Amino acid sequence: MSVESVPEVPPLSRRITQEGIRRYAEASGDYNPIHVDEEYARATPFGGTIAHGMLVLAYLSEMMAAAFGEDWLAGGRLKVRFRAPARPGDTLTARAEPRQARLPDGQARQVSGDRVFEYGIECCNQRGETLVSGTAGVVVARSR
Amino acid sequence: MTPANLPSVADLPRGHEFPAAHFRLGPDDVRRYLDAVEDRSSAYGQGPEGPAWVPPLAVAALALRATLEQVGLPPGALHASQEVEFRRPVPAGASLRSRARVAQRSEMRGAVVSVIEFEVDEEGSPGPAVIGRATVIAPPGESPS
Repeated sequence: MSVESVPEVPPLSRRITQEGIRRYAEASGDYNPIHVDEEYARATPFGGTIAHGMLVLAYLSEMMAAAFGEDWLAGGRLKVRFRAPARPGDTLTARAEPRQARLPDGQARQVSGDRVFEYGIECCNQRGETLVSGTAGVVVARSR
Repeated sequence: MTPANLPSVADLPRGHEFPAAHFRLGPDDVRRYLDAVEDRSSAYGQGPEGPAWVPPLAVAALALRATLEQVGLPPGALHASQEVEFRRPVPAGASLRSRARVAQRSEMRGAVVSVIEFEVDEEGSPGPAVIGRATVIAPPGESPS
């Protein structure tokens, strides 16, 4: 594969539910009431519960893990801003837009033939609003 | 919910170091996490008791939670941005240690913007498995919840 070629990453969709938010709270230990207490959340500027930012980010990470497997676990990078909340009932779509391929930093990895693929990433809701946006990068080992 | 007697994240000065936190994500924890995020990718392999590897964002999320539960988050606090870098795969069941510090602190229209850097090591491993930076914005004049 030439260093200029950046592979496409298939998008991923997930529906946010209050039950899913509750399960994430249980798995992560993050029981902030803005996520799990509907009465509390109604009285906040959000007007209702919102999903954990790290839950939404997990969809972006899953999308990259599905595309790159172990390379993602050993050399993935995400940098995002949380722009708007995801709410129960939202259907989110995570996407990655290929940006560039380059050699990795460090002479040893350059000699090994590894390369870095970089993407613009975003997660939007069903109305097309961008909830999370940023960049992702992954070091892909030549041996894989 | 965070007990009210903890310091607010907004009160921590730049350079503040959080006590190290220790945790472990076994195969059952990994399955629970994958179920919660509906992650169906096969990237995490298969070991004798379940997934072989921990989803790296689960490591980051647990490290962040372990850090932030040591402080109070004022009502209305926002997780504004997140950077995370995965440097080596974490086997399910590994013993992990996370360390964190307040890397930056600034004020913007009365709100306090804190950047918390963290890194997670696997016991016996030569370097961090996951590193990250979280930006948290605490609104003005609020007490921790």
